[in-house]
Amino acid sequence: MELADRIERAERALREWARGLYHGMISHPAYEKIEKEAEDLEDAFMLACFPDAFGIPSPVSYYTAELLPFIEDEFEAWERRLWDRGTLIERKGQQYHF
Amino acid sequence: MEPFVFFGGKGGVGKTTVSCAYGLKCARADRETLVVSTDPAHSVSDVFDQQFGDDPAPVEGIDGLHAMEIDPDDEVQRHLDGIRSDLSEQVSAAMVNEINQQLEMAHRTPGAYESALFDRFVDVMRNADPYDRVVFDTSPTGSTLRLLGLPEFLEGWIERLMHKREQSIDLFEKAAIGNNEPRRVMDGDPVLARLRGRKEFFEFAGGALREDAAFFLVLNPDQLSVNETGRAIAELREKDLAVRGLIANRLTPEPDPDEDGRGARYLRDRVETERDRLRQVREEFDPPLVAEIESRTAEVRGDLLGDVADELAVETDVERPSFV
Repeated sequence: MELADRIERAERALREWARGLYHGMISHPAYEKIEKEAEDLEDAFMLACFPDAFGIPSPVSYYTAELLPFIEDEFEAWERRLWDRGTLIERKGQQYHF
Repeated sequence: MEPFVFFGGKGGVGKTTVSCAYGLKCARADRETLVVSTDPAHSVSDVFDQQFGDDPAPVEGIDGLHAMEIDPDDEVQRHLDGIRSDLSEQVSAAMVNEINQQLEMAHRTPGAYESALFDRFVDVMRNADPYDRVVFDTSPTGSTLRLLGLPEFLEGWIERLMHKREQSIDLFEKAAIGNNEPRRVMDGDPVLARLRGRKEFFEFAGGALREDAAFFLVLNPDQLSVNETGRAIAELREKDLAVRGLIANRLTPEPDPDEDGRGARYLRDRVETERDRLRQVREEFDPPLVAEIESRTAEVRGDLLGDVADELAVETDVERPSFV
């Protein structure tokens, strides 16, 4: 009886470790990578919409301004990411966990 | 002929006079007609001696004729206000300031004025229902050509934006593994919906300009005006908008043959020069010269406008719009 309990406990611990390992090594980096890529694309989208934020006049910013009410979160995150970003290499480098 | 008729040309050649005269001609031929001035330096009010605003108003004394003058300043302000009210509904107070700055900037860029003007005149075309014919008195060549070139260019731009947005949403959806909620979802994305709406707007504008609009260029019989007309024809053709005809305005009247004073000699010389220019126009340009309007001693308004309208050999019958 006692042995069975201990085996079960050990098995549970092992399973948790395995899951953690899998999550940390395989699944988390995978979706993190995809998410980062998505963010990069979104940054490109934001830059194409609002180049005048960097002093580049855009013929369409009059129209893209209509999007502003709907992209509050994106706008804030975009600005934050731009402040954070040292270089493109650094950002790409973050996606690899050595 | 097409329901939308545009008159363009170099500054000061008499586009407004010709547009108003043509409007009058159409109204006399029993077509409900609207004359729209898109030139920020409005002068339709001066021709009819009556103040016009941003909404169509009937021209006094002429049945079936309405006129309006688009004010881009008003339009920019209206656009700004519209977005602001959306903003206050959607966005948290903390972000409003940040976004407001961006918004103000977007409305002060050089293109804002043109975009506003463009929006408004496409709007007029879209709501042209009560009128058989809409006559556009455009601003001098340069800015009008840019305006008419906008739809195709903007359509492409918006399409690229939509593509980028779709790609990033797609990745966000893919990144949501297991029970995770994706950060953005494609269904009902308000940004995509907005962009799509804009794209349709530009498609409509492009289609209406290509299918349902006729373009005429007004010119004076002098070299500068003729040269500019040549360039405008080429540029419009590049945009797939063919010029239907040319209208020579301000031709000098010829003196009677028995007159030989200083004034008569001057006029004769002048007429000779102008004939050369007109010959050049007939030989070098493809669109036909559809009207030759003599110079008047007084400003063209009131009864004189009727005379000019009679000289204007541009047909008035209206085809059903094929695109709108």
